Amino acid sequence: MKRRQGWLFFILFLLTLSVYLLINYPLQLGLDLQGGSQLTLQIIKEEGKVTRDELEAVNSVIDKRVNNLGVSESNLQTLGGDQLILELPGEQNPLVASRVLGKTALLEFRTQKEGTSTDLKSLQLQRFSIKELIEQYSFAEKNQNDDNFLKVIQDNLKEIEQELNYSSTNNDLYGKLIEIKKYVDKEITNLFIKTDLSGKDLINAGRRQEQTNNNWEVLLTFSNSGGEKFAEITKSIAGTNQLLAIILDGESISEASVGNQFASTGITGGSATISGNFSAENARELEVQLKGGSLPLPIEIVETNTIGALLGSKNILKSLYAAISGLIFVGIFMIFNYRILGFVSVLSLVLYGFFNLALYSLIPVTLTLPGISGLILSIGMAVDANILIFERIREELYDGNTLTRSIDSGFQRANSSIVDGHITTLLSCFVLFLLGTNFVKGFAATLGIGVLISLFTSLNCSKTILRFFTTYQSLRQKNLYLPKNNFSN
Amino acid sequence: MNYNLELIKNKRKIISFSTFLILFSLLGILFSTFNTSYRKPINLGMDFVGGNELRIERVCEEECSNLSPDFVLDNLRVISSNKNFINNIKLQFQNNNKLISIRTPYLSIEESNNLITNLDNIIGPLNYESKDSRLIGPKLGKRLLTNCVTSLLVSLFAISLYITIRFDKKYALFALLALFHDLLIVFGIFSWLGIILSVEVNSLFAVSLLTIAGYSVNDTVVIFDRIRENLKSKEEGYNETIQLSVNESFRRTTFTSITTLIPLLSIILFGSYSLFWFSLALSLGIIVGSYSSILLAPSLLLKD
Repeated sequence: MKRRQGWLFFILFLLTLSVYLLINYPLQLGLDLQGGSQLTLQIIKEEGKVTRDELEAVNSVIDKRVNNLGVSESNLQTLGGDQLILELPGEQNPLVASRVLGKTALLEFRTQKEGTSTDLKSLQLQRFSIKELIEQYSFAEKNQNDDNFLKVIQDNLKEIEQELNYSSTNNDLYGKLIEIKKYVDKEITNLFIKTDLSGKDLINAGRRQEQTNNNWEVLLTFSNSGGEKFAEITKSIAGTNQLLAIILDGESISEASVGNQFASTGITGGSATISGNFSAENARELEVQLKGGSLPLPIEIVETNTIGALLGSKNILKSLYAAISGLIFVGIFMIFNYRILGFVSVLSLVLYGFFNLALYSLIPVTLTLPGISGLILSIGMAVDANILIFERIREELYDGNTLTRSIDSGFQRANSSIVDGHITTLLSCFVLFLLGTNFVKGFAATLGIGVLISLFTSLNCSKTILRFFTTYQSLRQKNLYLPKNNFSN
Repeated sequence: MNYNLELIKNKRKIISFSTFLILFSLLGILFSTFNTSYRKPINLGMDFVGGNELRIERVCEEECSNLSPDFVLDNLRVISSNKNFINNIKLQFQNNNKLISIRTPYLSIEESNNLITNLDNIIGPLNYESKDSRLIGPKLGKRLLTNCVTSLLVSLFAISLYITIRFDKKYALFALLALFHDLLIVFGIFSWLGIILSVEVNSLFAVSLLTIAGYSVNDTVVIFDRIRENLKSKEEGYNETIQLSVNESFRRTTFTSITTLIPLLSIILFGSYSLFWFSLALSLGIIVGSYSSILLAPSLLLKD
């Protein structure tokens, strides 16, 4: 008896602890319940597998970029060795994040090859015309101009293609324009030689509005050694016809000449500006990308999930109602069928609920819709364990055993079935958690935790409460434990 | 309160009934595989093939005006840059014309945002607070599918290993047979649902299959446990002991199924729509699972 009393206090202690945890560490709601955006990012590697180090590196760069974006409470997880999941609670538009995240932001400084001036000039001219055509195209789209206008763009494009001696295979006009722009960018980049100065030498990036017009420029601050390299490079081309190109992700954003006055020392002071017709938004994006550093491997956004705050709260209310009403019905069913025993199971289920939720906030488990269904299902398992025990207790009572003896052997004999059933479920949960995707993981986690706790509450808490009840003489009548119409047995 | 299921007498009926259910399921799977629009044993949803799903509510003063999907699509065709993809759009109005739900092939985030802007121009204003959109790339979808199939296979293997260790081979075999029976029937019913109602299966369906597997084995194991225990202690013949054990476990199995079905039923009735088919799959699995645990698996153990 003493030992059971110890258990009773232990259970009460756990209950108090759970309530304390729940008050102080509120449950984390998943995006599907709270609203926000979720992006799944796939790391792209042409050959071989993405290594752990590469994954870590991509992870940390993206983490920095997201922090620089200023989204609060964002959450970044790695998944399956080559994927990342980024959650942006409250953010309804994943577009901004996607523009910043999708870029490699590999910053390079290159100097022009000698004797390429004419080539560069004609390419720069073509780049300009293509940009114009792209603008015209967007304008035509927006204003639903007739097909003649598009025809003009198409004809102009053909001319450029001929000059470049390159033809696009794309069927879509817009696709063609973009492809040719990329081609020209690549050709321009090819006219420049790599230097040893790169984005790695940056210590900071900033932006400011240009004084003469409304455009923005991006400011780069180099480390000490970077500043020296920059001075060295600018010195080598100062006063020559060679240009310095600033190249981002293989695309030249600006080509600048270095004045003769820098011929003796180069540009010192360890900073540079890129002014390339940036809008405020573009400048901010470039700043964020550069601050976060360059990605070691390119990434692609393979999934986005946006849930409006309103639909989220509707979902949670609905599922909450469903869970609560389901539980109340189960409680009524149990008390109706098992009387005192049913009441014990209701108490132990309430404990089960508290322990479960407390563990969620402790681990922490983010509650999502599949998570909630895992929880509801694990409640089913917990009830099952109680039913197994109660049926056994009744059999013992029918056999004419005393109440105490029946309870003892009821628990003992149900033990193996309960453990077997729980272990098979745990096995599936384990597999699901290891192999499953994010979505499935939530389900596996709540179901798994539920099954473990159910082992404790059904085998131990139910027993302790039942023992406590039977210390009262008025609760020791056998007929309170048997079905109403059947206590003559 | 003694139950008297005549298992020995009805063995043949039970086995024929299960055979009928299995054939019915196989037929659905076969039809679906040869159906020109699916060509898969089951109608795979966006989770597995990739695509774009968008739900958004209109802002209406009182009642939302009645609009036909064709009207919206015609207007979209006029203002969209990519005219081709509009032919692949599925558009529906729900909830008294208030909720618009749209399915398209995979779009980029920009294109998806464009689509919403265009919609806003046609049938706006829209309530962006109640927007719900999912984009899944085709590559990711394929990966999700292989991922789900592997998890299913590995977990089935783990379960069978466990029961082979805990019981002898014959019990393990029949428990597994009952398990496959349950999974096949639920799968088959969803093939039929795909053909008749275009119901699609998603990753939650894979989750439900796994849960059904766990539940079905659990159910069968409890009864086999009882049979094994009784075979050791009871004096009756082999077949009679099996029948007795089933009747002794009958209350427990039905009660357990009922208590698990109650919360599932409440999700079907009151829960969010996204869990409707999931809960239905689980409920079906639990009903079929209880049947196979009580009647089919023990019948297979009976000696002629």
